[in-house]
Amino acid sequence: MDFSELEAIEGLRWSWHSWPVSKSEVASLVVPLSVMCTPLMPFSELPILPYEPLNCSQCAAVLNPYSRVDYVSRIWTCAFCYRKNPFPKSYAHIHENNIPAELFPTYSTVEYHFSKGGSGPGLGLCSSSGPVLGRRENGQLGLRSNSSSFSSAAPYSGSGLGSERVGSVVGPAFVFVVDACTSDEELGALKRELLHVISLLPENVSVGLVVFDSMVRVYDLGFADCLKVVVFHGEREVSSEKVKLFLGLHHMTRTLGKLSAAQSRGFLLPISECEFNFTTAIEDLHSSTEVRPGHRPVRSMGVAISVAVGLLEGLLINTGSRVMVFTSGPATVGPGIIVNSDFCDAIRTHRDLNNGYASYYRKSTKFYKKMSQRLSDSSIILDLFACSLDQVGAAELKIPVESSGGFMMLGESFDSEQFRKCLRHLFTHDDDGNLKMFFDATIELVTTNDVKICGALGPCVSMRRKNNSVNDKEIGEGGTYIWKLGTLTSKTCIVFLFEVANEQNVQPSSAFFLQFITRYRYSNMGLRKRVTTAARRWVGKNSPEIASGFDQEAAASVMAKLAIHRTENSFAEDVIRWLDKMLIRFSAKFGDYVPEDPSTFRLSTNFSLYPQFMYYLRRSQFIDVFNSTPDETAYFRLMLNREGVVNSLIMVQPTLFQYSFDGPPIPVILDICSISPDVILLFDSFFYVVIHYGSKIAQWRKLRYDRDPSHESFKKLLEAPELDAEQLVTERIPVPKLVKCDQHSSQARFLLAKLNPSVTQKSEYTDGTDIIFTDDVSLQVFIEHLQALAVQG
Amino acid sequence: MATPGGPRQGNFPPNYNSNALANNMENLQINQSNQQQSGNFGGSAYRPPNATPFGQQPPRFSGSRPGPPPPGVFSGGQAPPSGPAQTTFSPSLVSARSTEPPAVTQPAFFTSRPPPPGASPSSIGGPATSAPSGFGPLPGPFPSSPLTSRPAFPPHMVTSGPASNGSPSFTPVPSQDGPRLPPAISSMPRPLVGPPQPPTMLSSGPSSQTLQMRPSFGARPSGASSAIGQPAPPFSAPPQSMIPPSGSLPFSAPQGMLQSSGSPYGMQTWPPQPQQVAPPPLVSGHMQQPQMFGMPPGPPPLPNQSMALNQTAQSKINPNQIPRLTSSSAVILHETRQGNQANPPPPATSDYIVKDTGNCSPRYMRCTINQIPCTVDLLSTSAMQLALLVQPLALPHPSEEAIQVVDFGENGPVRCSRCKGYINPFMKFIDQGKRFICNFCGFTDETPRDYHCNLGPDGRRRDADERPELCRGTVDFVASKEYMVRDPMPAVFFFLIDVSMNAIQTGATAAACSAINQVIADLPEGPRTMVGIATFDSTIHFYNLKRALQQPLMLIVPDVQDVYTPLHSDVVVPLSECRQHLEILLESLPTMFQNNRTADSAFGAAIKAAFLAMKSTGGKLLVFQSVLPSIGIGSLSTREAEGRTNVSAGEKQAHKLLQPADKSLKTMAIEFAEYQVSVDLFITTQTYVDITSLSVFPRTTGGQVYYYYPFSALSDPAKLYNDLRWNVTRPQGFEAVMRVRCSQGIQVQEYSGNFCKRIPTDVDLPAIDCDKAIMVTLKHDDKLQEGSECAFQSALLYTSIYGQRRIRVSTLSLPRTSILSNLFRSADMDAQFSCILKQAANEIPSAPLTQVRDQATNVCVNILYSYRKFCSTVSSAGQLILPEALKLLPLYILALLKSSGLRSDGRIDDKSFWINYVSPLPTPLVIPLVYPRMIAIHDLDEKESDDSIIPTPIPLSSENITVEGVYLLENGEECLIYAGDSVQPNVIQKLFGISAVAEISNQFVMQQQDNPLSKKVNAIINEIRGQRCSYLRLRLCRKGDPSGMAFFSYMVEDKIGSMPSYVEYLIHIHRQIQNKMP
Repeated sequence: MDFSELEAIEGLRWSWHSWPVSKSEVASLVVPLSVMCTPLMPFSELPILPYEPLNCSQCAAVLNPYSRVDYVSRIWTCAFCYRKNPFPKSYAHIHENNIPAELFPTYSTVEYHFSKGGSGPGLGLCSSSGPVLGRRENGQLGLRSNSSSFSSAAPYSGSGLGSERVGSVVGPAFVFVVDACTSDEELGALKRELLHVISLLPENVSVGLVVFDSMVRVYDLGFADCLKVVVFHGEREVSSEKVKLFLGLHHMTRTLGKLSAAQSRGFLLPISECEFNFTTAIEDLHSSTEVRPGHRPVRSMGVAISVAVGLLEGLLINTGSRVMVFTSGPATVGPGIIVNSDFCDAIRTHRDLNNGYASYYRKSTKFYKKMSQRLSDSSIILDLFACSLDQVGAAELKIPVESSGGFMMLGESFDSEQFRKCLRHLFTHDDDGNLKMFFDATIELVTTNDVKICGALGPCVSMRRKNNSVNDKEIGEGGTYIWKLGTLTSKTCIVFLFEVANEQNVQPSSAFFLQFITRYRYSNMGLRKRVTTAARRWVGKNSPEIASGFDQEAAASVMAKLAIHRTENSFAEDVIRWLDKMLIRFSAKFGDYVPEDPSTFRLSTNFSLYPQFMYYLRRSQFIDVFNSTPDETAYFRLMLNREGVVNSLIMVQPTLFQYSFDGPPIPVILDICSISPDVILLFDSFFYVVIHYGSKIAQWRKLRYDRDPSHESFKKLLEAPELDAEQLVTERIPVPKLVKCDQHSSQARFLLAKLNPSVTQKSEYTDGTDIIFTDDVSLQVFIEHLQALAVQG
Repeated sequence: MATPGGPRQGNFPPNYNSNALANNMENLQINQSNQQQSGNFGGSAYRPPNATPFGQQPPRFSGSRPGPPPPGVFSGGQAPPSGPAQTTFSPSLVSARSTEPPAVTQPAFFTSRPPPPGASPSSIGGPATSAPSGFGPLPGPFPSSPLTSRPAFPPHMVTSGPASNGSPSFTPVPSQDGPRLPPAISSMPRPLVGPPQPPTMLSSGPSSQTLQMRPSFGARPSGASSAIGQPAPPFSAPPQSMIPPSGSLPFSAPQGMLQSSGSPYGMQTWPPQPQQVAPPPLVSGHMQQPQMFGMPPGPPPLPNQSMALNQTAQSKINPNQIPRLTSSSAVILHETRQGNQANPPPPATSDYIVKDTGNCSPRYMRCTINQIPCTVDLLSTSAMQLALLVQPLALPHPSEEAIQVVDFGENGPVRCSRCKGYINPFMKFIDQGKRFICNFCGFTDETPRDYHCNLGPDGRRRDADERPELCRGTVDFVASKEYMVRDPMPAVFFFLIDVSMNAIQTGATAAACSAINQVIADLPEGPRTMVGIATFDSTIHFYNLKRALQQPLMLIVPDVQDVYTPLHSDVVVPLSECRQHLEILLESLPTMFQNNRTADSAFGAAIKAAFLAMKSTGGKLLVFQSVLPSIGIGSLSTREAEGRTNVSAGEKQAHKLLQPADKSLKTMAIEFAEYQVSVDLFITTQTYVDITSLSVFPRTTGGQVYYYYPFSALSDPAKLYNDLRWNVTRPQGFEAVMRVRCSQGIQVQEYSGNFCKRIPTDVDLPAIDCDKAIMVTLKHDDKLQEGSECAFQSALLYTSIYGQRRIRVSTLSLPRTSILSNLFRSADMDAQFSCILKQAANEIPSAPLTQVRDQATNVCVNILYSYRKFCSTVSSAGQLILPEALKLLPLYILALLKSSGLRSDGRIDDKSFWINYVSPLPTPLVIPLVYPRMIAIHDLDEKESDDSIIPTPIPLSSENITVEGVYLLENGEECLIYAGDSVQPNVIQKLFGISAVAEISNQFVMQQQDNPLSKKVNAIINEIRGQRCSYLRLRLCRKGDPSGMAFFSYMVEDKIGSMPSYVEYLIHIHRQIQNKMP
């Protein structure tokens, strides 16, 4: 079965489909045991179960098709821990011919929707046991935010105080953090877009507005007499406590019932109550004019974000909220400062970072790191929409954005299609008028005993919850069997890395199971759990199944994510060296060759593309930061880290299609030799989509042959890649930049940079093709060296 | 003036602006309309007549003047004299003059004028003589002129005489007497007072009164009265004759009773008055001419008043005859110098018009002694204080010539290169004008080439009369670039309003908002006027009033421990750009906060935040505060409660409550001053707010404290509005620096007032206005040479509200003397007492009250003792002898002891406010503060004939208060209306529109009823308000409740609690003096 077809059913991609039993053999595989999980992958047939899942009382695994069920005694045996569990009353009608969907063997993935009321008997208990929930033994799904949010939300509505709107809100909350230093035209565009978004928001959504320039202003949207804002000083770090104090939220405690007058302040109100005020406030925004000549505008973004976060914390909103930052430049003052306002000081570059010249970088990174902890604690998502020609500090902001699962967009103008699409996409509705947004999610992993969890890579945060399936060695976000995601999308992909247990007491070809329990809150605040259960087999030593179960795409993607994970703490060269080493070991292990004879080196088909992926990875912008700003690099890595196999591979090794008169578009190799004067190339690197017109085509176009009815086919040739590009652009978020360029034009660099430089200025023999001016090694040379090294043994 | 900026203070067209200013004070609600206008008209109408005397006088003097009188003088003078002269005549003059105002202003008149009225005590000889001399040459006019000039006087004098003493002698020297103390007291309204109303003073016929008075005093009343009563004869004769004899007379006054010797100088021995009359003729004209120019060289007859006081006789003392203020309703014409001689100024409380003839007007600078003692010893012997009271931007009289602006171009004004003194009329040019000698340091400077001018035969520069800086005591110099550290600052007004729960609920916020809303209409239009507004409770709310916004944007600053200002621009915006927004905002503010439940007030933080907003420009910060600051920086505790417990523990620490609680406020205030931010506090409260601590801001930054306690939403908004309006519209300057320079031998000891002092020689005034005075105490650092004069120059560098940088320079040159009696003769009662008052006020916070009180009495005793010992020849131990110039000193000291600042009872805040009020108090308001003016208003109807608006004041003794009477008492700050128990119902009805006193609400608002009485009362109140430049709050007092007590506590001549009555106090003083006598 094709791996991608399997993915369409399970939502999982395995680097190895068959796992060796012994630890040493796992180590020799080079590519780690890993699963790329797309928790909310849309399935054509997804059973929706309107009740709560049934958990194993010992390991908390959810009842699944692999459980053995004794219909007579109404007992099921957990596939993971073999515990026998009785069915509750609600399953009274279970019968061999009447089995619930979660037991259908074809439904490896099911989703439980249960309404907000929290009817489950366990929930009440949960609230009392507080945040330290989740002992498997009591059989509850011990999700901290799950229980705590319930405990705070349910009593409010139940205690008759529902009329007075409280910290707990009916829907998700959005705090818009807007940069008032934006120029008037840009701000105008931003305002238009915000107003558009606001007008489409469902009524249950609460909104808040924070505007910053040199000061930070929090709008009181409940004040009718005039616009009212609370002003925070942009240079002073404000703790969460101070924010509460200054906003008058400090009276709020977790104790129920008592509501102070201060809460009546409308810093965050349901859109239905404050739409007018909010609209007025937005319309009233004006570009802040106080810019000293020779200086950047004074932006206090760091304080603005911490105030917005503090506001949400103060209102005890932990059921899902977004802080959406719209900025047009870097923070120049206060905590989280990126650069001085003086233009004499340039914004840090990679070189500065490597040499330690970026004086603010460490401090600001630390500041935002702390922030990400707060975000995670309160299930707040941080989004960054940066429209600036220069850097805005995305590198520093990457940590909280990534860990909260937030959206990041680096654009050039708020007046761009890119920005509009990104923002509108975020706020798309489902058929019921709810936002297609998922909040406050956790992923719990239940494994068979001998499988050990090392960690996860992706937009998630370890909740540091351990059990005996958690491995001591951590990779990425490890040390836990449960992770938190501020939000996720249907595409969000997390890589889970595994190890096998030391003592082997399993038989090869026996099965092992993994269960992914993704709990999240939909934008209507309904709680949902999606449970995916997968089974694979243990295999013995040197079993051919290992090789045949290798998914080179998934492996490349995992390695890419591992590599960028490494870059956080190492220099790029070291990472490249590590990649090379791994590749050589891998080739040596799986290659078919006569030792010491490179010419004999062969790889079987399901390994053959892997070296090529590695080649493009090591010269990709994720590893090689030359020519990128720290902001761009951060952005690229952030995107790579959260995308699934397909998209991450596109990022690593872009696709290239050729359109010619010869026939339908065909994929061509990513090589300089693919460039030809009489073809159109469509290049997709995920972030860019380039339509490259060969010089002849360009000339024809210039001569307007396409308008000539007699050259209908030429017109069609021109249209075809554009339509395809359009397709690519519309479906992808963040919207890629579409570049149309002619051969030899300056814009063609977007394409040339990615092509394999098989022909360079040094080539003796050019064969009339274009050349790339570079000292980089070409794929061919790379492979040659690889073969030589692999066969050395 | 054509200056773009519009009218500067000095430039006011004589009538127009000052009236406008005066009008500012008018209450909106009260009968602004007709009466006020009529008042104005009256003013203009009457003034000319006042001037006429001057016109007439010149001729007289011409003969006697040393220098050749300007030719024009004569002609000018003669025309008006108008033989008619009789009292009846005055009205006609009035009408005639009113049409020809220019005549008044002709310089010729003034310049040629002799040292007439002003001559007063010091020049005693002078004036008296001058008059006669004048008569000599011009027989024709002579008889008439005296009459015309002072038609009113005869009667006045009579009346005043008895009360104040001095009478007979004065009458003869009418014009000169005007200024003297006795009449001075009643600062009558300028316009209306009108000279001529004989009846003004006493409702009943003057003659009868005099009769009564005299006799009572013992001597020969009848004689005196008769002499006085006949105007014509006494005039001509007495003045001249008075001098020598009078001097002797008083002293010799035989009787043991109170005696007032009326010398020509105004001294009176009560009993001997008849004798005075007789002697004058003897003196006749001889002495006069020599005396005219210099101070009387010989042993001058000292004006004084002696009273024999002994305990036994006490019962015989008629309280009516002890020295009291007498009021003269006549406008006094005062030339600052006459015959090249400093002319002692008229009393500060009198209505006078100054002609600047070299010395500055006493409005701007007044010295406690108008002759400067040559040695320290002489001064210390006299026990008097040598000090200047400087009020650099004082409001001029509408009829006075505007202060001239002198522009020296880029080089700036000519100054002495050593002491930096500014060019003035007393700099002596030598060497054909190539060099000049500084009258301060004596250094000889080169005259700048382009300023050179040849000297005339008289040694003066030929252009002296064309150049204001060489012939005027006060000029405004245009400041050149070197006087500016930065461009002149815009006029910034920042309003800071308390919106805490208390302020909202008492209506204080609404009142403040409405006041501001009305006042912004009065702010000067144009880009230079900037406004900002903020409110505060436990947080601070700024408002962005930028026009681009659809509506005002409220910006809340929550951090009251470490404040900041929310926007660097846009918080303070040009008025023209935000007027509409501001109006809308001010209207909605009270409702916006109407549900505010925040009781805390972050005053310190708010004021700091506002300061930060204004820091770049500086400006005025007007704060409306209602409760004790309780949160944030500079928060205060209710010390008063703590203080009360302390008081019970021992009164020694009581004064500590009058020291600021927190040093941080002071530090902040100094920072404010540094950035030219001045703070005015409007305290609208019903509780203790610790004014002592809060007032640090106004005191340090040249601001002012306004106190509305207990605040009433009904009656106080009008006052609040008027106070605010006057505050922002009165003539004022910003970012000012002031320094006083003195001639060699004298130096400045200390400045006191509302300002910030960073270097010893200068005072920094973030703001200064026409109502602020600064006291400058002086000390000798060397012995002075006799003969020449001693000069003082105050220079105030300031920015006008229209953004011009100016230097107001006032120069006062006074003669030196080494004769003690001269000092007493030239003592200035108002200035002396101001000095005592301010020093006492300064003392209160740092010393126990009893000590301060004793000190005040000691000052009085020491002065009188010195006089008694060295200047009086009377040996009778039984006599209390008072120098004429200072005869009211005991009364005022007594009044001071009974004032709210020095009483031992009373609220801390009241006391503190009093101290603050006194600190910058201008001299004319000093005496009314302690010795308020009281008038009867129930019988106004009956005094139909009275032309002056304000009737004669009544001495502050409860004996003068009848149960049928309704009285109005004002002290320049508040105004009490007291209604007796058995007032005729129709009077009550007419006045208040209610049938019985008991029905009148305590928080009443004086409404004008449609009847003559009510109209008159309202006219009076408006007139008083105009005079005081203050919207006096009206309080109704009734017998039997606290308000009645408050009223009677102003009866300073009564015995109040342990404080002695006036008579008792005199006896006390007398005994102390006797104890000191060897």
